[in-house]
Amino acid sequence: MRNVAIVGVSQIPHTEATLDKSIFEMDYELTKGLIDKVGISKDDIETVIEASSDYWRGIACSNIHTLESTTGYLKEVSKVEQDGAFGFLYAYMRILSGQFDTALVVSDTKCSEIDMPFSNITNISADPIFQRWIGIDEISSAAIQAQDYMQRYGISEEQIAKVSVKNLKNALNNPYAHKKGRIKVDDVLRSPMLSYPLRELNCCPYSDGACAIILASEEKAKKITDNPAWIRGVGWGMDSYFLGDRDLVDTTVLKTASRRAYKMAGIEDPRRELDLIELSEPFAPQELLWYEGLGICKEGKGGTLIDEGTTEMEGNIPVNPSGGVLSFNPYVARGLIRIAESAMQVMDKAGEHQIPDAETALAHAIGGFAGEAHAVICLSK
Amino acid sequence: MVRNVAIVGIGQTKCGRRSDVTLSELVYEATKKGLEDAKLMNKEIDAVVCGSMPGYQCGINDSQYYIVDGLGGFSKPVIRIATCGSTGGSVFHSAYYHVASGLFDIVLAVGHEKMSEGDSQGVMSNVTDPFIQRPFLGGAPGVFALQFSQYESRYNISHERARAATAEISVRNHLAAFDNPYAHLKIKCTIEDVLKSQMLCYPIRMLDCCPSSDGACAIILASEEKAKKITDNPVWVKGLGYAGDEQWLGDKDFVEWLSPITASRRAYKMAGIEDPGKELDVAEVYNPFTWQELLWYEQFGFCGKGEGIKMVEDGMTEKDGDMPIAPSGGTLCTNPIGATGMQRVAEAAMQVRGTAGKHQVKGAETGFASAMGGVVQYTAVTVVSKNL
Repeated sequence: MRNVAIVGVSQIPHTEATLDKSIFEMDYELTKGLIDKVGISKDDIETVIEASSDYWRGIACSNIHTLESTTGYLKEVSKVEQDGAFGFLYAYMRILSGQFDTALVVSDTKCSEIDMPFSNITNISADPIFQRWIGIDEISSAAIQAQDYMQRYGISEEQIAKVSVKNLKNALNNPYAHKKGRIKVDDVLRSPMLSYPLRELNCCPYSDGACAIILASEEKAKKITDNPAWIRGVGWGMDSYFLGDRDLVDTTVLKTASRRAYKMAGIEDPRRELDLIELSEPFAPQELLWYEGLGICKEGKGGTLIDEGTTEMEGNIPVNPSGGVLSFNPYVARGLIRIAESAMQVMDKAGEHQIPDAETALAHAIGGFAGEAHAVICLSK
Repeated sequence: MVRNVAIVGIGQTKCGRRSDVTLSELVYEATKKGLEDAKLMNKEIDAVVCGSMPGYQCGINDSQYYIVDGLGGFSKPVIRIATCGSTGGSVFHSAYYHVASGLFDIVLAVGHEKMSEGDSQGVMSNVTDPFIQRPFLGGAPGVFALQFSQYESRYNISHERARAATAEISVRNHLAAFDNPYAHLKIKCTIEDVLKSQMLCYPIRMLDCCPSSDGACAIILASEEKAKKITDNPVWVKGLGYAGDEQWLGDKDFVEWLSPITASRRAYKMAGIEDPGKELDVAEVYNPFTWQELLWYEQFGFCGKGEGIKMVEDGMTEKDGDMPIAPSGGTLCTNPIGATGMQRVAEAAMQVRGTAGKHQVKGAETGFASAMGGVVQYTAVTVVSKNL
């Protein structure tokens, strides 16, 4: 199998509202900035995969609008209508096939341009016959999941709060992050309850932001940079749809996806072999649950892991040095950003939130309610 | 080292108004037929790619989750691709790359649509930026009407002559649909019927225009090694091409239309085709409008510029002609938008493997399929062949 690497990543600073740029302009600035940074021309990009959503952008067939601002004109392009990480996976497959040597992946969302509650948009992914009318949405499904998780394994509110404290603190060292701050567990426990047991500080914001990544085959990558981030392993999968059919605390889909990625990457003991993880945690309890699914602790022990400080910046396996989704959430792009952040780490380009000597990183993305779909990507120096 | 990929299974649903099934059940119908055709069990599918037109149509965001059971996708890698009308082609291409990458050996591709459950013209009017073009659009026929007027004007073709040829195109497709068990519209119509049908958006009349259909289409692809074990009649994917051009209508040339020209040349290059007019045995062209079918002949290089009409007048596009076009009845008779592009590939594959039944083109060995999306913006082209 061909070796494929990430040769460059770029992000727009993620904000509550980027009022001076349209999505077209954001994508243009992002893409132009990236190809200039990497030192190639737009003609060097052979294929472009955009990951965007009609519902989140308010434009049907969303990429008709940004094709020209992402070097896509007359190129082999496509659109994945899922989290940006899935767009990345498709671009990766295109290069693996041997038909392309370079690929650009772009993903974005301008949450500020949505003039209805965000829960409406996530509620619209519920089936229109049974689930939609009970108002189930991203946050309430995560809340049900959290309740079940806490009851089953005794995960405490304090342990959950520690995730928010950690990630918002980490975000202080990330110039791209939207929400950041030095908060305490008490601050989290006193923040307004949004959907029991999820409090405001347990929940992600909604951001404007975008991310772009350039991938290249080994031969091309080595010409472009002497510091690529190699893609070592990937895995992804989808769970059942009806919430009643699922055990929301069961992380089998994540386990299967991550084991597949580990196997491909030759990783036998992720807890020891990974230098960091960038996972998707729009709701704080999910970070603890994903620790278990990723196999860095046993089932039910996600709370213990954070108590031990293992996933802090100075810990054995830092999780979300960027601040994670809890600190910035340009919805569709969030998984692609996890990949970009992981690549930055192994390329030694993470600036103030760099994990020293990071060589092997894992990026994780989710989709749907309460982690209905998962994607795992392992990168290394 | 490029991996060879083949089509090993095809499943199509009956199209039309399918109030008897939910979207997921419709997808199930196509998937099940595909598995039966390939004689495979669901668990043998390594990954799934699905897609439909803009999600506003079915009123479900992220419909890939909703249809997981219909796809047999539980616990599998699933990706949703969405490129408007070209979705069916893009989904197929994605499934091809899934296999060609070496990560998967057997992949299911499904295009699906329930047009009856949404306001399709309303949805299609949103396939554009919200500031400048959206107020203009008037759904799909509006834009394409501009294209056809420009065509006649560019090549100085009299409207009467174009009108006569397009009426023939309508009759040919509608008649062909009777031989396609999956087709939606089965209407006996004459040239006169076409010319008298209701005007929708000048010059497009009702019988120049596709219906709104419910339907799904599944195709199973496999690596060369697996394909040869699954079937002794694999259909090889020889060429793919895709291109998108300008979004702003004022920027683009509707008549020498770069999107299909670029996409088809890429596919031909990959397939080693130098003279498509001669080397293709059948072309399942995405033809929601009769005028556009004429334009496609030229964009895809089946004939020279401005010569599309002659192909019709000379009978070349009939089932027994030199270049049979859409012997299935095409998009003109069946258009479940997310599935349609996939149906074109399925029909071309059926031709090439000799299983097209009543609408079989004798001796077809190399087939062409296209799909179009956006506001005159995207084209997907696929070339398939009996021969590796």
